[in-house]
Order: sequence, then structure tokens, then C-alpha cells
Amino acid sequence: MLAEGLNGVLGHSALIIGFAASLFGAMALASATVLKNPRLLRTVQAYGTLALVSAVVAVIVMERALITRDWSLSYVQKVGSNNTPTLYNVTALWSALEGSILLWLLLLAIYSYVIMRRYRKRLADPLVAWALVVMFLVSAFFFFLALGPTDAFLAAAPPDFMRCCRGPNPLLQNHVLVLFHPPILYLGFVGFTVPFAFAIAALITGRVGEGWLVETRRWALFAWGFLTLGILLGGWWSYEVLGWGGVWAWDPVENASLLPWLTGTAYIHSVMVQERRGMLRVWNLSLLVATFSLTILGTFLTRSGVINSVHAFSDGEIGPYLLGAFGVIVAVSLALIAWRGDQLRSPGAIDSAASREGAFLANNAVFTLFAFVVLLGTVFPLIVEAKDDRKIAVGSPFFDTMARPIGLVLLFLMAVAPALPWRKASGELLRDRLFWPAWCGAGTLALSVLLGGDGFAPLLAFGLAGFAAGAAVRQLVLATRRQGVRGLVGRTNGGMIVHLGVILVAVALAASNSYTRAGEFTVAKGETVSFAGHTFTLIDIDEFTTSRSVGIRAQVSIDGGQAYAPAISKYTAFGIDVATPSVRSGFANDIYLTLEAGSQPSSGVAKLKIFIKPMVLWMWVGGGLMGFGTLLAAFPGRHRRKPTDPVSAPINLTSEDVAHV
Amino acid sequence: MKQLKGWPGWVLLVMVVAGLLAFGTTRDAGARTPEERVEEISKQLACPVCDGESVYESRNTQSASIRTEIKAQATTTDATDDEIIAYIVQNFDARTQLVPKATGFESLVWVLPSASFVCAAVGLFFVFRRWRLAADLVPTDDDRVLVEAELKADP
Amino acid sequence: MSDEISRRRIAPIVVLVVAAVLGGLFWVLAGSEAENDTSGVINSHLLGRTAPSVRSTTLDDESFDLARRKGSWVVLNFFNSTCVPCIAEHPELVAFAEQQAALGPGGAELYTILQFGDRIDSVRAFFDERDGDWPVVRDDDGGINVSFGVAQVPETFIIDPDGVVRLRWAGPIDAETLATLVQQQRDAYAPR
Repeated sequence: MLAEGLNGVLGHSALIIGFAASLFGAMALASATVLKNPRLLRTVQAYGTLALVSAVVAVIVMERALITRDWSLSYVQKVGSNNTPTLYNVTALWSALEGSILLWLLLLAIYSYVIMRRYRKRLADPLVAWALVVMFLVSAFFFFLALGPTDAFLAAAPPDFMRCCRGPNPLLQNHVLVLFHPPILYLGFVGFTVPFAFAIAALITGRVGEGWLVETRRWALFAWGFLTLGILLGGWWSYEVLGWGGVWAWDPVENASLLPWLTGTAYIHSVMVQERRGMLRVWNLSLLVATFSLTILGTFLTRSGVINSVHAFSDGEIGPYLLGAFGVIVAVSLALIAWRGDQLRSPGAIDSAASREGAFLANNAVFTLFAFVVLLGTVFPLIVEAKDDRKIAVGSPFFDTMARPIGLVLLFLMAVAPALPWRKASGELLRDRLFWPAWCGAGTLALSVLLGGDGFAPLLAFGLAGFAAGAAVRQLVLATRRQGVRGLVGRTNGGMIVHLGVILVAVALAASNSYTRAGEFTVAKGETVSFAGHTFTLIDIDEFTTSRSVGIRAQVSIDGGQAYAPAISKYTAFGIDVATPSVRSGFANDIYLTLEAGSQPSSGVAKLKIFIKPMVLWMWVGGGLMGFGTLLAAFPGRHRRKPTDPVSAPINLTSEDVAHV
Repeated sequence: MKQLKGWPGWVLLVMVVAGLLAFGTTRDAGARTPEERVEEISKQLACPVCDGESVYESRNTQSASIRTEIKAQATTTDATDDEIIAYIVQNFDARTQLVPKATGFESLVWVLPSASFVCAAVGLFFVFRRWRLAADLVPTDDDRVLVEAELKADP
Repeated sequence: MSDEISRRRIAPIVVLVVAAVLGGLFWVLAGSEAENDTSGVINSHLLGRTAPSVRSTTLDDESFDLARRKGSWVVLNFFNSTCVPCIAEHPELVAFAEQQAALGPGGAELYTILQFGDRIDSVRAFFDERDGDWPVVRDDDGGINVSFGVAQVPETFIIDPDGVVRLRWAGPIDAETLATLVQQQRDAYAPR
């Protein structure tokens, strides 16, 4: 038996207390609800607080162990080292499997606590009670994981510095984004547990009408916002660090983060139909269940080792447990939907395909199809291996081919839906409303052709993007005319700003995927090469050594101006090469420089790869706009309803409104 | 303006858009440079030692070797893209091919999404049609009598 | 009117379809195993076939041609000066080389093949610091690595006197195992 140090004991104790607290909290709340005994509710808040405190203590203890380099913990031996800088040592908490589960656990405990506090006066309401029971049960599961299969506080034998203590993966210790991307992404992933809990509660109690809907929408938007931001930060990080100039590689772990985003996006749109007309209720419940299930499935794919990925933490025995959890969640949810689904369906019907409801229903179908395609491509190697026992790989070519037409359809829906009225549209109305947006699209297309664009898919994408932008701007103009500055706030208007962000991202992706130019050059010191209208001069090439790596760095002057320093380093403890590209960002394009293997500093020769990537900056601007729009969308709009108002309350129109409708 | 927003304006728009698309699509962007060819080929191959990265993306030494080899074959021999891919796949193992084949069991990955799309489109069409037919009901005489009675009782 | 639209029970049907698909997925995932690092004797498309042409220069600027080594057993070791397992393997190769030299003319010849982009001065320094005086062959464009299909260094190939590839070993190897494998190939060898 290996002796446990103080940190190990503290950590284990905290996790055991947390596990017990979550489990007992769930049991107390469930029995209070089923037995209709409100006295049992008094203990629930104590359990919830205890669970939060335990999770916080566990994380603090682990961080302390990392910072003090407590080698008695096996996790610290795995990701800690004596010469990792402090920042990367702190972020090493989530750089491998066990610690990432601790981070997940912390966020889950925080969310559960916030839900408990926010609804503490309504715990007697079965809807709220069951939601909190679900959250406690999920917390208990993750506490169990952190105690058992992925024991973060496992004691270790005294360190053998030849094999251990090399620090986190080199890719995770050379860019500051490691501090932001994982926590923000997890805020999104874990955040979707909340609307899922409410969806289960709604299925159990059979109440999908008043109240739960508005609350759930805000939580879903909050989680979705962070998930979106997390995915975009991941793309930015890829761009800055990986050296091949791309932002998205359809890597299985990237896909795992995209899948819940797709169903989550479908949900936040489709829920508007439920708010307005009380329809698509079972769709919304199913989308929430799907989103949460996909986060668990994604976690399984990332952490079980069944799929190869540069991102994967694939060295635990956590696989069967996560797969089991996925199975249980899906089985329970499907059973509930089969039982309750038909009772919950709205008696109404969508009158016409050319209506906003129709567009949102089509939207649901397209996003679900997209999620299915991404999931299929990601697990297809496993399916083939199970059947034929041979290994294949499914990569970017497949996903790009599938995503392109789906993306174009989504752009088209984005263009048409804001102009569609509820219930039914006439041809004349559509012709009138879509006129200026359509000419906007034609103008964008003309501009692209003028600037030299070619290729059917990118040009069509630009045209549709202009069309969609025109529709979004039209909506914003109308709203601000009517309501002034408040016309920029609220569900629809904030949503239009998010759409503008999405359009910018789509245009940037289309442009950089289709029109990137790349060239490889072997340049000697002092020599200048020219490419794509720019000149590149190699000013210097030298070696550098840090405590963790040896590397080569080149100084390249672009167009005779400022020098940019691409580098390539080998992290000696791992034998892994990490490229540090150097990027000159501009509005029209980014000039992206990498230093390739084969550069010989002793002879002053650099192998440079130069990418001219159009419009990449617009992607980050679009991302920022999406975040900003999400904030605006979270504000209450003009027609705010109290949670107890019936869903389809009539809106009091003034005569001015009538004139504009 | 009203007339412009009617059919004439839209027909003009469609013609303009079609013309621009036709012009842009058939515009000749020049032959592929060797770099572009290497890029296209290397995007279809998986790096032999990385976890799922393509040869194009990977900064690994072996991927760099493969890219060099592709470039050498592309510029000095007259091998087609497929022949170069076949050479690399033969030397490493079949897992190197990143694009699933279009025949046999592997073609399912192409077929299932297309089939699902068709099913979804057809399903949506029928659902909308059923709802539209339901919404197009004409009031019966009984309905009219009922409404008149109510109106008389409460003008 | 709305009373007449019957509340058809479609939920169970949809649920059943979804459950079937997800059940299949679950079964596939449950049966998948995590991939382990392969090391040891592994397959190669070259087994039983003539080795690809290897023509290059050594570190000492002499020319090297694998075809001219016909008539002796050849062991090719693919190496990179920054690869940690390769560095650990090196003393074993030194021991192997000495042992084969002691066998006289029937002993296997050991050659190291470098990788694309490996710094020549680092390699020279490496071999100077440690023992090892067998020829080190450069592969400046990576073509040799690609033609042998080398995925992750270190890899070792055993080639018979007719120039046919007999064995491929992935990962680091120790002197005893390598000597045994070469001896097994010798015993099984039938001259053409």
C-alpha cells in the first residue's frame, strides 16, 4: 500500500463527502417529492452546499499539489514537472484525464448549487424538485468517476524522473489560450445539464407549458454561448499553434464538441416556436435530451481511447462507465418520451411551410441531419472495424463534402426566416420583404466576382451570406425604427446580431478554404523571395534553448517591414515537435509563416512555408459579434412575459405596430 | 418601386445572379500549381503515426517526408493523383487513406446521410401537406349555423 | 375540427427507431478496444519482396547503395537523433554490432538510416559521443523512409543476402532479441 500524502487524503475525503452529499441530496429530494413530505426538503440545501464545498476543496487541493510539486500523487507525476512555468502548471489541472474530470465536477457542482439557490423557495414544486434530483444524480456520477475509475488523488510510488514528471503535453504548454479554452468549453458542456434536467422533470411531471420553458431557455442560451465561444477559441488556438494554417480539422474530439452545439442551436431556435405558438414541444424536449447525451457521448469518445485523436486523453478505464452512463441516460429519456410524448404534443398544427414555424421546423431537421452526419463520420471507423476487423480513417474530405451543402441550406434559411411571418406567408409578402436582402446578396456576389472569386460553392456561399446579412440588417433596422436602442436587444434582435456573426464566420471559412495560397521556399540568410505580391526576406535564423525545448527560430521581414519570427521547437522530454507560426493579420488576408523541418541554422538556410489566407480575421470578429449578440439576446425584449403567463398570451399591438406588420 | 418589387424585379434578380454565378464558375483560375496539387493529395492521406491528422496538417517528420515524396512524384513523373495516393497507401497501411471508398460497406458513410436527407425532405413535405390540407377545411353549414347563433346572442 | 385529428401514437414508433439505431451504436462502441502501441514484429508490405532501392551518402560522405550489399545479411535501423526511444536503444545496437563483427564474414551488417530534417551536426555529435562506427546513411528527402513505410522511429528491418526483406520490427529493440531474430532468419534462409 502506498502511503498517501496529505493532499491525497484531503482530496479523497472531499470527493467522498461530495459523492455522499450528492447522492443523499438526490434521495432526500426524490423522497420528499414522491412522498409529498416537505419536511425532507430542509436537508436538501445543506447537501447541495456540501457538494459544492467538496468539489471546490478537491480542486484547490489538486492545484496546491501541482504548484508545490507534490510527487506523492500519481496525477502530479503525470502532468507536473520541475521546469513548467507557473501558468502552465496551473492549467495542467485540466491537461489530462483525471484533472479534467475534476474541472467538470467543479462546474457541475457550481451549476447545481446555483439552481438550488435560485429555486430554493420552489423546491416543493415537483418540476423543480425533479430537475434538481437529476442534477444531483449527475453530480454523484462524476464524483464517483473522480473517486474510482479516474482517481485523481491516486498515490504514487516515489518519482522515477527518467520516466515521469515531464509536464503536460507540449501543445498545452506554449500558448496562453490553454487557460481559457477548456474552462469556457466546459462551462458550455456542463451548462447543458441544466436544461436537460428541466426537460426530464417536464417529462416526468407532464408539465411543458408555463414556467419551465422560459427558465430553461435562458440556461440553454447561457450554456450555448459559452460552448460557441469555447469552440471558436479552440479554432483560434489551432490556428495559432498547429502550424498548418487551419482552424478546424474535423478531428473526433472537435466533432465531439460540435455535436451538442448543433442540437443546442436547433433547440434555441425551436423553443421560440414553443413560446409563441406552443408547438414543437416534444421536438424541444428531444433536442435537450440529445444535447446532453451528446456531451456524455463526446466525453466517452474523447476519453476512452477508442478513437485516435491528437486531443484524446486515452489512458483510463473510464470508457465503460461513460458508455454505461450514456446508455442509461438515453434509455431513461427515450422511455419517458415514449410514455409521455404523445400526451405532450400540441394539438395545433403548422399552417404552412412558408411560415416562421415552418422555417424553424426545417431548421430542426437540417441541424439534426448535420449532427447525424458528423456523428456517423466520427464513429464510422469503429463500425467498419467491428464488422470487417480492419481499420479505416474518415477525415476532412468526407466532412467537408457533407458540410458544404448543409451550410448553404442553413445560410438560405438564415436569409429567409427573419422575413417570414408567423402562421402563413403570401407570395407577395415574401417578394416585398425579401427584395432588398436579395439584392444585397446579388451585390455581394457581384463584389466577390469582381474581386476575383471563382468556384461555384464559394460564390454561392458569398451570395447567400449577403442575402442572409441583408435579412438580418433589415430586421434590425425595422426594430430600431420602432423601438430605438431597445430594438437591438431581446431574443429576435440579439439573434440577428448573432446571425451577422455567424455570416461573417461562414464567409471567412468559405474564403479561407477556397482561396488560400501556399508556397514553400528554401531561403538563405539575407535572401528575398516573392510570393503572391509580397516579398519575404530572411533576416536571421538561429537556435534557442529553453529549459523544456530546443528550437530553431527565423526572423522574416515581410515587404521590408517588421520582422516576424516563426519557430519550431522540439520538447526534449517528449520528442514532439511544436511549431510556432507567426501571423501578420490584416483585414483582407493573413500572412501566415511557418518554419518547416529541414531548416539548418548552421548553414543559415530556412525552409519557410508561407500561407496567404484570406479573411481569417473576419472569423474572430464574427465570433466576437456572436458573443455580443448572445448577451443582447439574453436581455428581456419588450414583450416580456412572467413565468406564470400562459404560453400563447395575446400581444397588445398598438396601431403603429399594425401598420408595420 | 412597387412594380420593381413584383415579378419583374425578381426575374431581373434571378437573371443577374445566374449570370454572375455562371461567369464566376467558369472563370479559369489557372492550372494547379505543384503546391496546390501536393496540398490536395496530402489532404486525402492520414499521417501514419499521428492520431488522425492528415499528412497536410501534420508537422511530424514522416508527414514531411511524405509531402516531399508526393511533390517529387507530382513534378518529376506523370503519375496521376490517384496513383500517388495508391503508392503511399501501399507503403504504409490502408488506414492512411482518409477518404472512405465509394464501394462496399464503406460506401454506407456516403449513402446514409444522402438517404437521411431524402427521407427528411420527403417527410417534411408530407407533414406540411397534411397540415395544409387540415388547415384548408371549408366551414360546413353546421358551423355557419353555430356562428350565427352565437353572433345573434352576443352582438 | 381539432377533436377529429386523432392523437396518433407516433412517439413510441419514433422512439423505437431511434433506440434501435442508438442500440447499434452502443454495441459497436462497447466492443471497441483502445488501441495499444504496437511494437515488436509487425507486418510490412515489403515482406518477402525485394527491398526498395536505397542510394544515398553516408555521414562520412561516402556513397551507399543497398543493392551492392547483396551477399550479406543487412540490418537497417531507422533513427532520429531526438527520438527518446532511439537514444535509449543505441547501446543495444552497439552491442549487436560488436557481436555480429565477432561472427566474421557471416555476420550481419548494420546501417542506420536517418530521417528527413534531422540535424546533421546533432547526429554527428551523437555518434561521436557514443560508440557506434557503422555507416550512417542520410535520407535528405525522406524518400527511403517513405519507400520502407516507416511510421514511427525506431524501426528495424532485416534483409537477406538476396536483397529480400524478411522482418520488420517496430519500436526499440535490444541486442539479444535482434541477434536471435537474425539467427532465426539465417536458419530459415534458402539461397536462391
